[in-house]
Parts: sequence; C-alpha cells; structure tokens
Amino acid sequence: MIAGLERFVVELRRAGLSASPAEWIDAVRAVDEVGVGDRERFRVALRCALAKRVAQQRLFDEAFARFFSTPGRGGVERGRRATAGAGGAPRGPAPVDAPRALPRLDRSGPSDRRPRSEMPRLQPDLQALVARLLDGVPRRVGRLRHIVVEPRHPSSREGRMEHVRAAPGPPGDPRRRDLRGRLASEDEREIAAEVPRLVERIRLRSARRTRRSLRGTLYLRRVFRENVSRGGVPFVLPRRRRRSRRSRVVLLVDVSWSTARAAGLFLLLAHEFLRRARDTRTLFFVDRAVDGTTRMASWLRREAASGSGPARERGDRGPGSGIVRGGVSFSRLIGGLPGLVLDAPSDYGRAFDGLLRSTSRPSGRDTLLLVLGDGRTNRFDPQDWAFEEIASRCGAVLWLVPESIARWGTGDSALGAYLPHADVAVEATDLEGLARGVGELIRRL
Amino acid sequence: MSAPGSFSPEAIEAAFREHGFVATGQVATTLFLAERLAKPLLLEGPPGVGKTEIGKLWAACHDAELVRLQCYEGLDEAKALYEWSYGKQMLYAQLLREKTAALVADAPDLAAAMRRLRGQADEFFSRDFLLPRPLLAAITATRPVVLLVDEVDRADEEFEAFLLEVLSDSQVSIPELGTIRAARPPRVILTSNDSRELSDALRRRCLYLFVDYPDFDEELRIVESRVPQIERKLREHLVRFTQTLRRSSLRKRPGIAETIDWALALVAIGAEGLSEPALRRTLGALLKNREDLERVLQDLPRLRS
Repeated sequence: MIAGLERFVVELRRAGLSASPAEWIDAVRAVDEVGVGDRERFRVALRCALAKRVAQQRLFDEAFARFFSTPGRGGVERGRRATAGAGGAPRGPAPVDAPRALPRLDRSGPSDRRPRSEMPRLQPDLQALVARLLDGVPRRVGRLRHIVVEPRHPSSREGRMEHVRAAPGPPGDPRRRDLRGRLASEDEREIAAEVPRLVERIRLRSARRTRRSLRGTLYLRRVFRENVSRGGVPFVLPRRRRRSRRSRVVLLVDVSWSTARAAGLFLLLAHEFLRRARDTRTLFFVDRAVDGTTRMASWLRREAASGSGPARERGDRGPGSGIVRGGVSFSRLIGGLPGLVLDAPSDYGRAFDGLLRSTSRPSGRDTLLLVLGDGRTNRFDPQDWAFEEIASRCGAVLWLVPESIARWGTGDSALGAYLPHADVAVEATDLEGLARGVGELIRRL
Repeated sequence: MSAPGSFSPEAIEAAFREHGFVATGQVATTLFLAERLAKPLLLEGPPGVGKTEIGKLWAACHDAELVRLQCYEGLDEAKALYEWSYGKQMLYAQLLREKTAALVADAPDLAAAMRRLRGQADEFFSRDFLLPRPLLAAITATRPVVLLVDEVDRADEEFEAFLLEVLSDSQVSIPELGTIRAARPPRVILTSNDSRELSDALRRRCLYLFVDYPDFDEELRIVESRVPQIERKLREHLVRFTQTLRRSSLRKRPGIAETIDWALALVAIGAEGLSEPALRRTLGALLKNREDLERVLQDLPRLRS
C-alpha cells in the first residue's frame, strides 16, 4: 500500500502540489487510521494531510479521481462521480498497489502541451531580462529592479523561459480565473463579487505596513544621548519618524478588447486605496490617451448611491460588461468617453507620443505612473523613446501586465522595449495578480 | 466518546448531532484523524460557517476545558503566553523589605550586598509571579484542554511564527524559567477566515479542513436541527433564499449563524411564508450591511420568484 501511496505523492508533486516528507508521513498515518475500506474517508484522510489550501484541495481531488479510479472506469469525470456519490459510490478505492497512470495536472492551459519547439519564444532581450530578475540576480536591467510574478512550483523557476508558465489555477476559483479567457458577463460578475474581499485583505496588510512605517526606524544616536542623560531609567528607544509624503498618481490604462476586463477590475480594486494619494488621474487609451478621471469618479460614486447590480442596457456584451456599478457597466463607461475609440487597433507608441506632447503629461518626483497593458502594439512603431521620456519625468513607474509572463514580448508585444523604463513589472493574469499590483502601488504611495 | 473502542468518525458525528450540530463525514473524519495523529487542526473558511462552533463542541465532546485565544492585529507573546505580575512583585518587595535589609545588613560593600541578593532575586521571577495567558494555561493544564486559536489570520505574521513551537512540540520557552513542556498536550484547533495567507510552516504542522457554506440539503438539516419549530415549507423557502443570496455579489454573505437567526426571527413574528412584509421586518437578521440590505430589498420580487 505504501508503494502505491508513494507513487501518488510523487505524482502530486510533479503536478505542482508539493508535500513535505512530514506531510507524507502524516498521510500514511492517517490512512492507517481510517483504512482503505471507505473511499470517501480514504480521500478525506489523504487530503487533510497533503493539501493545505483550497486551491490545492481542488487539484488534489482531480488527481485522486484520476489516480484511484476504479479499474476499468478510468477518466476524470468517471472518477469524480465515483468520489462524489453518497449512496451509489463504491465503498473502497481501487487497490493502491496498482494505481492508474496519472496524467500531469494541466495547470498551464492547452498551449503548454505543444512541443517545446512550438512554444512561443520571447524576444532575446526580454528573455534575458526576465530570466535574470527571476533568478534573483541583484542587478537592474535599465530601470527595472523587480518583477512580481504569480507563485509557482519551485521546479518552474529554473531561469529557462520555457519553464516559466502561467498557472491559471483551478477552474472554480473566481480569483484565479484567467482574465483573458472567454468569460461571460455572469463570470465577470462572479469575479467582481470577489473584489470587496480582496480589498479587505489588502487593507489589512497595508494597515500593518503603515503602522510599522509610522513607528519609524530606531534612531541610534538619540538612544545613547537620551538614555545616558537619565541613567537609563526608564530606558527609551526613540525612533526616527518617516516624513509623510503623499504622491500624485497617474493611471494609464489600456482598455482595448484584450485588457478592458483586467482594467475594470483593477480600478475597482485600487480606487479604495487611491484616496491616500494627493490626487489621482485616470487616462484610458487604445491608440490615444483620454482623460477619464471625472467619469471614473462619478461611476464609483454611483456605486455608493445605488449599489451594484446587473447592467441596465441590453446588448452590452463586451469585456467589462459584467463589472457593474450602480447599473452602469465598465464597458459602457469607457464606451461613452469622447475621443476614445474602442474599436481602433492598439497603438501604444502613438498613445505615448500623444501623451508626451500634451500639457497633461505626468511629471514630478512625487508622481507615480502606473501603466496597465499588455504592450501589444499591432506591430506599429512602439516609440519607446516617448515612454522613456515620460517615465524619466516620474518618480516611480509600475507596469501591470495582464498576460502570462511566458507571453511577454512574444508576437507583437513591445514589452521588451518598454519594461526597462519601469521600476516594477507585475504579472497580473487574474484577480490575485491584480491585487498584487495594487499592493505594489500602495507600497509606493 | 473518549473510550478507545467507541471512538470513530461515526461517534463524532453522533456526538455533534447531540449538541445540535450537523457535522459532515468530512468534518468528523478530519477531527477523528486530528485526535488519533495528535495533530493541530486548521479550519479555514468564510465567516459564519461554524468553525469556532466546531472547536467549542470538540471540547464539549471530550468533556475538556476550552481555552480560547482570540487573535487580533498586534497580539503578542505577553497577551497570548504569559506576563509577570508586576504589581504582585512590587507588593512582595515592599513586604519583604525588612528581610532584605537584614540580609545585606552586614555586607561590607555594595558588591557584597549585590552578591547576596543575586540568588534571592530569582524568587521574584518564579511561577508564583507568573500570570499565565491562554497558551501557557493550555500547556500547563492538568485537565484535558482544547486550545482554540480563533481567527489566526488576524494576528501578525510574527505571532504566527511564535505559534510554531507550541504547535509542533507543545512547549513554550520562557527566558527566566526555561522551556515548559506540556505533560498532557492540548488538542489544538486553529480557525482562519482566509483574510490573509497563512505561512506554509504553519500549514505543514496542521491537518487542514476547508469548511465551506453548506449546500441546500445540508443547510436544511441544520435549520431543522436548530430551529425545529419552523414549518417545513417555510424552512425550504428560507434556505433557498439564503443560498440564492450567497451566489449574488454581496459585501457580506450570510453564514449559517445568520440563517439560524433569521429562521428564529421568522418564527418569532409568526411568519407563515416569505411575504414581503415579513422579509422587510426580519432581513436585518440575515444581512448585516446597509448596502446589501438596500440591494436585496430592491431585488425582492426577483429573489422571491
């Protein structure tokens, strides 16, 4: 039996669910306690010892259904039925000494099943950049210091890009749904419903950090001066208070078809925290930047006045149609912005150039520029010099990429030209990724 | 239930049922394993699904004392483990002043007086002056104890790291007294609302159970067991209504406790069905947020259908 369980644990590890030796021992002891006579109990025993997160439990259930499917009744669906049923479910698992082959858990989408030669290749400069930063080489690439990626299995961080793959997470978790996938309005609504919870989590974390920073660092010189003068009774530890410096924030948001959904969700997540900034401007762009600050503010006020609910307009089916505040969807909000043509092909170069020439270009040491976009310019001139010029006028630049890191710089993406001019790049393919982006934003406010 | 022969998941289910709690097979099996493997159990899930209740009932089932440590931001060792009773130390120092003076009376100089007092000072840092907080109380208890570390996700990460020693070895270290090891390791249950990610180290030391909202049939059984006076049809309607609300985008989704409160409220006003006036009068028991209330009241016709 132990040999069979061992193979199961090895397969789980290969699939990305890593169990430590201690957990593996717990699993064996748990099975020893409940026996293998009752399939459901056997599953629960293994699961509580080996899967310690909700997402892991979902992976575990799929793996269990495959691995311990009844002989002759293989396959995920059949395995699930066998696991879930109460009355008609088989009482025991298949013999653990003869497990069926477990297909590798598909955590990275269908594209990763292609032969390696067909894997999308990154532009060489971006590939080297990402590999170095992910390997923790303490060296800047241009201005870029840091890339925030989704947590992955350690084996996928070998610095070779073919191993850096998206991990879209289990299908049921709205916070891990790939925002670029095919999603109906209902799906978007389900994802948007998770936003308040994430906001609460971010607020809790940021409050802790703020408190710590308010407490200040130890002021050593004054420690001696103050304590020597009074003989060390009571012993005081003076701290150096941080000067409060509130930033101006400029959000430059790509709202083309492929990124509008991520844009809407990000703005919902971030607006709560942007009140801490001195002021915030929101610029939307597809091929030119348009100021949407007033519209955004009134959209968010509508939520407070009348609550969220289904969109009133019929036929509103574009990305962002399920992200609704006060009866108005995000897609309607951006669709009604004068000067913004949503159907135009994305042209980052033109948008950056136009912004640089305009009087409303972001500038100032206390200005924080956040760009949300995939950098796909439809093979137009990226005009990265314009972005470099804009970035050089700002105190800090963050770039949120709503695309898996494996695709950065592939095809018509010009991220390789843009990212060296940002301070931090964040991979944000799902709601959790966007929340990480908000975390990075708050840290710099 | 604690007799080895009768201890089984079925026995746990039955014991919980006696206390009016419908435990699923999954909950019962995990509790059974936590007991047999002598491992802490981490219960994670949304608020209001009965995680804390499981801890309380686990203590009741074992006829054990429940020691509860409610976690919050800023919780530290002094509030969770022990404190020196400063007032008591001062009082004793005052009372023993003459004795202390006699001890050092014939000392030729300050250094000699200090040497004499050195051994005596330790008396003020003995167990007599120790104020045990929940963790130490659970470890030093002579009776069976269930230690409930509630909402551990609210505590700081530093405190989480501090808990590791308690969870893995059932011991705590006090600098003045050394390491105190539990003669009878307490049963430990931790709960988390998943408001922040707990560390891998903590998870590794525990068995894990995610307690989710119950499905329709399960919630029906729970309401039946907790509010037996409610009519079957009304019970079904209210559970269906609650389940629909949980699927919608509310700021605070109703938990099981809220469903039970609502059922009690409906019984209290003598409601026979989910009529609009009855809903308007009692919905405050189910929804605890003004925006949610307004939204649901607006959507009432759709939700009732």
